Amino acid sequence: MSTITIALPSKGRMKEDASAIFERAGLPIVAVGNDRSYRGKVDGRDDIEIAFLSASEIAREIGAGTVDFGVTGEDLIREGLADADRKVEISARLGFGRADVVVAVPEIWLDVETMADLGDVAADFRSRHGRRLQIATKYWRLTQQHFSGSHGIQLYRIVESLGATEGAPAAGQADIIVDITSTGSTLKANHLKILSDGVILKSEACLVRARKPEHDGNARIKALVEAIRKAV
Amino acid sequence: MPLINMPEFSGRLLDEFAARGTARIDTPVIQPAAPFLDMAGEDLRRRIFLTESETGESLCLRPEFTIPVCLRHIANATGTPRRYCYLGEVFRQRRDGDNEFYQAGIEDLGEIATASADARAVNDAMQILENLIPGRKLNVTLGDQAVFEAVVKALGLPGGWQKRLIQSFGNNAHLRQLLMTLASPQAVSGLSPELAELLKQDEAALIAHIDRTMQETGYSTNASRSPREIAARLKEKQSLAETRLDGSALLLLSEFLSLEMPLSEASAALAGFADAAGLSMGMALATFEARAEAMADLGVDLTKVTYRAAFGRPLDYYTGLVFEVSRDNAVLAGGGRFDRLMTLLGASEDIPAVGFSLWLDRIEQARAR
Repeated sequence: MSTITIALPSKGRMKEDASAIFERAGLPIVAVGNDRSYRGKVDGRDDIEIAFLSASEIAREIGAGTVDFGVTGEDLIREGLADADRKVEISARLGFGRADVVVAVPEIWLDVETMADLGDVAADFRSRHGRRLQIATKYWRLTQQHFSGSHGIQLYRIVESLGATEGAPAAGQADIIVDITSTGSTLKANHLKILSDGVILKSEACLVRARKPEHDGNARIKALVEAIRKAV
Repeated sequence: MPLINMPEFSGRLLDEFAARGTARIDTPVIQPAAPFLDMAGEDLRRRIFLTESETGESLCLRPEFTIPVCLRHIANATGTPRRYCYLGEVFRQRRDGDNEFYQAGIEDLGEIATASADARAVNDAMQILENLIPGRKLNVTLGDQAVFEAVVKALGLPGGWQKRLIQSFGNNAHLRQLLMTLASPQAVSGLSPELAELLKQDEAALIAHIDRTMQETGYSTNASRSPREIAARLKEKQSLAETRLDGSALLLLSEFLSLEMPLSEASAALAGFADAAGLSMGMALATFEARAEAMADLGVDLTKVTYRAAFGRPLDYYTGLVFEVSRDNAVLAGGGRFDRLMTLLGASEDIPAVGFSLWLDRIEQARAR
């Protein structure tokens, strides 16, 4: 009987919330060795192994199929993996870690409320300002899909931003941002507003399964997914 | 590295180019990425091979030749008109087909007689393909960005809408969606009562309000859009809030976009369309007709060329002619007029430009069949 490997967040609220759900599902997780260990197991289930990883590593490992399941944010799955739906399946939405990936512009852009408005501004930007509209984000893929794919906006440039993205417009590093927000308070504090059709993704923590042929018709895989679904 | 994978007809192709009075130009394979992303948009990013220099500059493997050729022309500051030809490898991430393949083509820079330069570009592409793939049926499709722009202008639509429509020309799904949206009124939302009141007053008060808010929020020092720009667009949006694209304009636009016929009939059909619709399309029709005549003068059989009104490319540097030569759904050559590109790339004066490129891997496959 082969081992099922599950990757779980290694720290913080995500780790606690994930453990709580597994506990409720009758799959209590214990660390192997001490509390800081990066290996774990499910009490009484020798056929399940737990790997504690960082949230973005989890997305990558499920995509590569090196683990069977993982708990991570949908944003990291959709941003981190090309063709995400072909490689992985979202087995259950876990109801915590809720946050939206959004398009936000300076509050004072009173004339910009929708993506269509933004498209107008982007179309003119080069002739008015000698450069393309710049977007600060760490979400390259989601930004491209939303702008180019869903709204036909081509004329912009992405400026990579790995932290404190909300500060980029005021600091002059970019004109607008695409970022993740749970309450919107950081955006507000930085005088940014979300466009009415600017929610790219409503993300939350998910139990994600790597699509592997050996999972087909596997009763243990099916039972595990059902147990987690009932515990949410 | 010897280029052993070069198509065997490369020599013949270079002879064809030489016979047409072009000068061969080569460009480095490794190029700064910014001009490509600036011109073609971020969508290109996932289709090119990007890397970074030690100093952090974004570099890419040459994804096409037009931009490098134009940049080199600007850097060399040689006069115009110039006719360049190129043949070399380009690199793109493709789902089907190799990631590195050969392209060749002609870029005609600075020729002021645009109708004959357009005609020569189409004729050169057709002739070269007919010589390389003799006796096979080639499909030639032609479109014209300037004619669409003239229709939109002649309809007397508000400035903002004209820009939106022109921006999405060539992307038919998006254009259709846009027409639907414009057919219903769009109220301006998200304004505080205080602001709505300000909007009724003169623009100066609105500009002052925006300026004050920017200073209070510490935003002004780096503001990319000025209070004046924001106020002007807000006013424009407000004036459109009660308007919608009326039924007859919508019908005319749809009718225009569905036009498709042999080029031999297109000038008359476009004139007929303009007459029936009561639209004055200015120079665009005369330019279109002059081009068709110049093509006929060069010996192109206009009954074998299809004019499709909706055919275009959604990139803002194309200004007039666009065309494609294909066989069995494979595009073998594509080209067009891009009068706006040279100044966008930094040329100090307007330089009219037209050109085409040939997909040598697809031509090789077509020859093998």
